[in-house]
Amino acid sequence: MFLTGDIHAKSLGLLAPELVLVAVSLLILVLDLVWKERDSSRLGWISIGGLALTSFLLLLAFGRSGGPEHETAFALVTIDRFGIFFKLFTCAALAVVIFFVMQDRRERKSHIGEYYFLLLGAAIGIFFMVGTNNLLLLVLGLELLSLASYSLAGFHKAERRSAEAAMKYVIFGGLSAGVMVYGISLLYGLTGTLDLRVMAGVAQGEGVTRSLAQAITESPGAVAIAMVMILGGFSYKMSVAPFHFWAPDVYEGAPTPVTTFLAVGSKAAGFGALLRFLAVLFQDGGAAEAVRAYGLQVGSLLALLAAVTMTIGNLAAMRQESVKRMLAYSSVAHAGYLLVGVAAMTSEGFEAAMFYLVAYYLMNLGAFGVLLYFSGETGEETFDSLDGLGYKAPLISVAMVVFLISLTGLPPMIGFLGKWKLIQAAMDPALDGRLLWLVICLVLNSVVSLYYYLRVAKHLFLKQPAERSVRPAPALTGLLVVLAVLNVLLLAYARPLVEWTSASFDLILR
Amino acid sequence: MSVPTEYLLGLAAILFGIGIAGFLTRRNLIVVLMSIELMLNAANLSLVAGARMHSTQRLLDGAGPDLQGPVLAIFVIAVAAVEAAVGLALIIALYRRKQTVSLESVSELRD
Repeated sequence: MFLTGDIHAKSLGLLAPELVLVAVSLLILVLDLVWKERDSSRLGWISIGGLALTSFLLLLAFGRSGGPEHETAFALVTIDRFGIFFKLFTCAALAVVIFFVMQDRRERKSHIGEYYFLLLGAAIGIFFMVGTNNLLLLVLGLELLSLASYSLAGFHKAERRSAEAAMKYVIFGGLSAGVMVYGISLLYGLTGTLDLRVMAGVAQGEGVTRSLAQAITESPGAVAIAMVMILGGFSYKMSVAPFHFWAPDVYEGAPTPVTTFLAVGSKAAGFGALLRFLAVLFQDGGAAEAVRAYGLQVGSLLALLAAVTMTIGNLAAMRQESVKRMLAYSSVAHAGYLLVGVAAMTSEGFEAAMFYLVAYYLMNLGAFGVLLYFSGETGEETFDSLDGLGYKAPLISVAMVVFLISLTGLPPMIGFLGKWKLIQAAMDPALDGRLLWLVICLVLNSVVSLYYYLRVAKHLFLKQPAERSVRPAPALTGLLVVLAVLNVLLLAYARPLVEWTSASFDLILR
Repeated sequence: MSVPTEYLLGLAAILFGIGIAGFLTRRNLIVVLMSIELMLNAANLSLVAGARMHSTQRLLDGAGPDLQGPVLAIFVIAVAAVEAAVGLALIIALYRRKQTVSLESVSELRD
């Protein structure tokens, strides 16, 4: 493929958000060396400013895109609303995470420029991961995200738990990367292309390419192995069983802001890439009947994984003594809930999963923020360390209760609407009630989760008030209260949000 | 004479199997990292074998060789190197504290 100068300039223009992010991350690295100052929070604000600028550019791109033909930069990066949705999500999540880093009382204040640099680097990885139809760039983006995450998990390398978390993350990350790349190599051998759209037969590719439909009829076994391996790679990023083993240990050992990023940003990126992979291969306009049927089988496999994941996550979360570990298992369970929408293999299901991700963002960022505050005050993360603190820090504790109710999925919080939409998608009449068992599983699991979520509230409010006093953190409290209010408010005014997620799902050209 | 593609794919599958087996059975962190490298290189071999298969067909059709597979393989080599660098750095950090590179040394975090 030969690109002329004009196309280069146009491609660079389309990549403006990514370029801004790269520039800001390099600027952070240089400024950290040049300023040598005691307080690094200025660097944090620069990062947040960079993310705001990136979001602005993304919003402009969102307005421009949406036509039947997606623009591509360098024939690799697809600029579509679906990708922009996840990029905006990443920016929003990362801005809060960076704010958490600045508010973390257990973090040193100086020379942590590389903290911000690594977080922004992870975001660049996510941008390419969710913004491409090409498996090459998908692998590269995923690895960039992984490598930044390994270093972030081990950021307190002098602390044993942090180093151990990073070690486990590298080992399991390497395993899943190996499995995924091998699966991709099989798919490439079968079809002769790395471009998902060419593979699906939607776009024309050069040279010998077999469509996925042909590959499925000619060698179903090899396609099945390749699919399972690639889904395995995605499962690892989403912390879906059976690739969830790393999650509790890494989440517990990593610094809390990093845990927040892994639980929200990294998981959403995994879901974004998976949704695109499935939607382009199995749903796009021209997909043949054999491919659609195959997609439904993949859906059944995902339904099974969803049930296993949410059950494992919930049962393990009940037994934890550490709030952080409980939240880690809870995030595994939520990956299972999210998969319910994916398993339906309909665009309504995919939209429901995307909507649930927004709800998950609001409630999980909040819960981790509260944990960050309390563990910064008490130096511990156990349930017992929270005893009676609800009376010392009432505003934050009430916000925590809001987040917990939202995580359980009870009204009047947005978590309720998120679960409702997932159930609605799974009960779609087109599915003939095939996922009814999964819906029952989801509801039962939500009931179980009430137990361990309310346990936090019990320790906060129903235990003897603690002797210790806590220092106020006005900025963090303000952010958490805003998040809590949004949890309630967005249930009442959900329509624009729902419409926005629907508008973002433009992978299928209807 | 040339080696049939099936042989190359078979060799890749065997290498991948050895990598998985090593990953699951070995207790030494360095050997575990080596197993991961083996898996990634098995994937590379399989990518290059696939590219050769497609290229043979394309050259008959008068088109150039298929470069997608080899390009991904080159990127995977780079990624594997970085992954090894990060992994070894962490092993050194653990070794300084515990004087061992066994998997058992990373067992503080558990249920």
